[in-house]
Amino acid sequence: MHPVLKHLLDTEFSDLAGSSIEGQFAITDELVNLGLHDLIAKLTQPSAPSTAPAAPAVPKTSTTELPDPKVLLQHVKIEHVKYRTEAGRTILELKAGL
Amino acid sequence: MPTFSNPAVATAFRDPTGSFAGTDVRIALPLTRNLLNEVLAARPSGTPITELYIDPEAGNQFRVHLAANAPVVGRVTRRITLVPGPAVTFPAQPWLQFAITDGLKFFDKPLINLVQGQVERRLPKGVDVSSSRIRIHVPALMTHLGYQAFVPLLHKIQITSEANRLQLHLHLLAAPERSEHPRPPLTP
Repeated sequence: MHPVLKHLLDTEFSDLAGSSIEGQFAITDELVNLGLHDLIAKLTQPSAPSTAPAAPAVPKTSTTELPDPKVLLQHVKIEHVKYRTEAGRTILELKAGL
Repeated sequence: MPTFSNPAVATAFRDPTGSFAGTDVRIALPLTRNLLNEVLAARPSGTPITELYIDPEAGNQFRVHLAANAPVVGRVTRRITLVPGPAVTFPAQPWLQFAITDGLKFFDKPLINLVQGQVERRLPKGVDVSSSRIRIHVPALMTHLGYQAFVPLLHKIQITSEANRLQLHLHLLAAPERSEHPRPPLTP
């Protein structure tokens, strides 16, 4: 694990206290549709033939030591979330802080 | 630029300004002295720069403690005072700049050259060090990292210093596209 990430985890992200994010994220319908198409393509893909040897167990990702996102998320205070749509786009309003 | 097999992600990376048109987000990120020094401590070992600490102060200035083995003059230590410059805005003001107001003198040329050499060898293009300032050309840096298309989204970047922490202010803005079918006026 990167030493800076380890420090953040060890101190429960206290060094980032006071962080804030406020505003709106907008994405176009085109992007949403591309995502939907990709999702459908994945869902409708024929599954691997059963005669194939059992897939080797997915190696545990412990080697990457990715932290549990909950550790960070439990410190997040969300003040405002609002989902809405406009012609041609999807918008998420967000106000949150640590 | 990174390549993506997912078409939605690929589109977002190809045209972030269009894909995220209407986005308007402000982020404030405090960077405490502890955290900044953890970052500096994680720099590559075995360089001529033997010590490097940062100390953010109130009044929008911070100090950097630097010890290095410079050619000819040998080991030198300096305590440099830096003042963050104006906000980065696009395209008018691309430089994230820190003025060196104290701690370096004319005869520190070997030390400056040494730091400059380290920067050139280890950091991506766009970082520029002289005796009077450190500055980062943000679009050049982002282009080097493969995120050139995201440059127009960076409406404003500013770093300020207060006691024990630097504050990073970031404003991401993608202007809403003009509608192809403008709404008719409400009044006849």
